Amino acid sequence: MRGLAVLRWSLLGVYAALAAAPLLLLLLTSFKSPADATSLDLKVLPLAGSASPHAFAPTLDGYAGLAGGGEGTAQPFWSYFLSSAIIGVCSTIAAVALGTCCAYGFSRFRIAGAKDWLFFILSTRFMPPLAVVAPVLVMYRQMELQNTHLGLILLYTVFNLSLAVWLMKGFIDEIPKAYEEAALVDGYSRIQAFVRIIVPQARTGMAVTAVFCLIAAWNEYGFALTLNNQRGVTVPVYFAGLQGNISGVPWPQVAAGVLVSVLPIMVFTLLIRRHLLRGVTFGTIKQ
Amino acid sequence: MAGMPGTGGTRMLAWSFVGPALLLLIAFNLFPLAWNIVLSFTNADLSGGTWEWVGGRNYATIFSDKSFAAKYGAALRTTALFTVLAVAIELALGFALALALRRDFRGKTPLLAVLLLPMMLSPAVMGLFWNLILEGTYGPLNQILGLAGLSQPAWRTEFKLLCLLLVDVWMWTPFMMLIALAGLNAIPAQLYEAAEIDRTPAWRVFARITLPLCAPLLGLAVLLRATDALKQFDLVMAITGPNDQATQTVSALLYQTTFANQKVGLGAAYAIVVLVGVIAVATLFTRYLDWMAARQGREG
Repeated sequence: MRGLAVLRWSLLGVYAALAAAPLLLLLLTSFKSPADATSLDLKVLPLAGSASPHAFAPTLDGYAGLAGGGEGTAQPFWSYFLSSAIIGVCSTIAAVALGTCCAYGFSRFRIAGAKDWLFFILSTRFMPPLAVVAPVLVMYRQMELQNTHLGLILLYTVFNLSLAVWLMKGFIDEIPKAYEEAALVDGYSRIQAFVRIIVPQARTGMAVTAVFCLIAAWNEYGFALTLNNQRGVTVPVYFAGLQGNISGVPWPQVAAGVLVSVLPIMVFTLLIRRHLLRGVTFGTIKQ
Repeated sequence: MAGMPGTGGTRMLAWSFVGPALLLLIAFNLFPLAWNIVLSFTNADLSGGTWEWVGGRNYATIFSDKSFAAKYGAALRTTALFTVLAVAIELALGFALALALRRDFRGKTPLLAVLLLPMMLSPAVMGLFWNLILEGTYGPLNQILGLAGLSQPAWRTEFKLLCLLLVDVWMWTPFMMLIALAGLNAIPAQLYEAAEIDRTPAWRVFARITLPLCAPLLGLAVLLRATDALKQFDLVMAITGPNDQATQTVSALLYQTTFANQKVGLGAAYAIVVLVGVIAVATLFTRYLDWMAARQGREG
């Protein structure tokens, strides 16, 4: 049993170190000068004036660089961040609103073919973006939605609907029907009961769903790359654009930008950590 | 009671709740699909200029044109190899970690938070940063290997698929771990108590209780991961670009055909072939969920 305990702790220790190392390196790199980032002495100690070959003088230049146009890009990083934020927030609100209504319908009414509909909704999630993006592009050109925020907002709303419906159905199923029935007896209409009873009761579920929709929209790359490559460019597409000049990538600036763009995700993940499992399994596992 | 079928008013109300979402989903899934089928019989290109009907020529190209059929076959093999390896490694590692994390200990919550972070991050963005880590000369990985006196391979040029796997495993092992933990936590403690009374050896407890009772959830995790891995695109773009033979997945080939080579018609035909596979996987997945629900219904 002792051997097993040693094995257990070393597995945890080694894996945790390996998993955290890239994130730590990201943090360190964001405070380096470009020369230190690609130095042949691995710089890991943020100590100015130290004699160690592995020490470097921390600087905020990487973060300051986010305000200017980076190499190979015309605009400051913040403009891409703003695009991501607009598209992420709007599509999330739309997906959660539509998804909650839809989930309520499936949870409380008998709908012909409900199971088939729910599986159809889930199956849309399996569609690889690259397999449907060409006709979407043709369609968006006609409707002048290419390179607009609205185009991606629409697409991400639809893309996230499957998750929103499945997650919200789980949450709404857990709200006792007696609450609404009491309200209906009191003379509320169905719509009133939904707005005044269900929506407040499902607040946690809606928040969790919103976080997962926001993360998916924030990280999405395939649609964004092919539809919004001139205007309304999002953060992942901006970073990917830097990959062409890999030797000359301004690493500290990239690290600073990556860190700033993943920070909201980290915060949101921590906030909903108890519902993480539910979110990543489309609500099929409830804990 | 409201909600019963039959009355026209209730049915209207029900459909007004579910209708908008369903309409959007149909519009954005079936409409592009239909258009894709139309495009696949044309020689349309990305410029949006004139096009002509070419009949089944695009499909013939996919299956018989030597250079493209070879590329298509290679992309299928690369995707399959990547999916099998990634899912297998992530499952084994994730399950092992879940077993190690099973009991409570001080600091478990912050440790879990660190372990789970990578799967919430953007593959396209983190993929770019991994390029620095894996760089041959000044990349931190090779510098550490050098300090340890080990050889320093040129990861990004010689072991491209391995790089892809490494980043994918870093991002998605926590996903397997999370689901495996849920599976372990759901095993009734009485079973272990009974095994202890019977003095069952540890490996038998594992083989007879832990593994079989975890299996349904692990199956779900594998299916969810596999459907994602089959779509692999973001990391390919970040690490090697779409047109590298070693890592050209199905999605990357689709991108290369439709956008880099601008052959929308051929890309559409290829997409249709891919979608047949997608539908097969989706069907398998929904059947599995159905089976799990029925199983839970029997037990609980």
